[in-house]
Amino acid sequence: MRIVIAGAGSVGTYMAEELAGLGHSVVLVDNDPAVAKRGESIKGATFLFGDACDVDVLASAGVAEADVVAAVTGDDEDNLVVSLLSKQEFGVPRVVARVNFPKNEWLFNETWGVDVSVSTPHLLTALVEEAVTVGSFVHLLNFERGKAGLSEVTLAPDSPAVERQIRDLGLPREATVVGIIRDGHVMAPNGDFVLRVHDEVLVLSDAGAESAVRAVLVGS
Amino acid sequence: MSFLRRRGRVEKAEPTETFPPLGSLVPRRHVRISGQVFRLKMRPSRGLPAFEVMLIDDSGSVIVVWTGRRAIGGIGLGRRLVVEGVPMEESRGLVFTNPAYELR
Repeated sequence: MRIVIAGAGSVGTYMAEELAGLGHSVVLVDNDPAVAKRGESIKGATFLFGDACDVDVLASAGVAEADVVAAVTGDDEDNLVVSLLSKQEFGVPRVVARVNFPKNEWLFNETWGVDVSVSTPHLLTALVEEAVTVGSFVHLLNFERGKAGLSEVTLAPDSPAVERQIRDLGLPREATVVGIIRDGHVMAPNGDFVLRVHDEVLVLSDAGAESAVRAVLVGS
Repeated sequence: MSFLRRRGRVEKAEPTETFPPLGSLVPRRHVRISGQVFRLKMRPSRGLPAFEVMLIDDSGSVIVVWTGRRAIGGIGLGRRLVVEGVPMEESRGLVFTNPAYELR
């Protein structure tokens, strides 16, 4: 895939290295001379010196042919401008944007050309919550512009789902159990799978179905 | 013809511009197109408004969306528009987002 990354800080540089290592064609864009040297030394990725908020710079980075654009600068305004330009001027199918300040997260939606937003503080909070809580419903990730999400529940002893088969849980049609983690092992669920206390249940669902999923796995 | 127009001899002739048929458009290629407004829609998108128009010609249709507004003065049903931008492929067809436009 062709990937353009705006922002060659620690996040962008790491992504460029990883993605280039996986065989993708990566262009990294940044206009800070200090990070330019670091960017130029990344194996397999092309570094372009310029302002990613400039349409001409994006064009010369090959955004018109890119499959994915990742706006991962440390500046939310810049990330939004890159996202909007990529979507609106170049029709990029998938735009991923980094949210630096959680208060700005509401802006990162389709109006600004963002398909997927990743908020590090939000993700860290969710993961900490996921690690320390049993029996509560934790929303981990958004997909499809927030229309679908991945959630996790660690089953408490009083959960109505304990000792029941997945097919009998009565999950809504818009939700599916995608994995179970039991004693540190990942298990692929089928309808016969019987849930137990302390199972970590990962559910992929429509945003609208999350309350129904919560009722099934956590109870009221 | 064109030299006559330049010299102003053909006064009433409109500058003729040809547009690609809407049915022939390719996603992600910058184009200038023309079509007639067939449908208007004001849709809220996550709390933010968007003004959506379907343009048609004999060969097909495209959707044009302007975000952050509920209407655009002069754009009504049947109006001919010229739109310039990059269309994206979506499940509902080719979609232009916030393109430049001219009322015709």
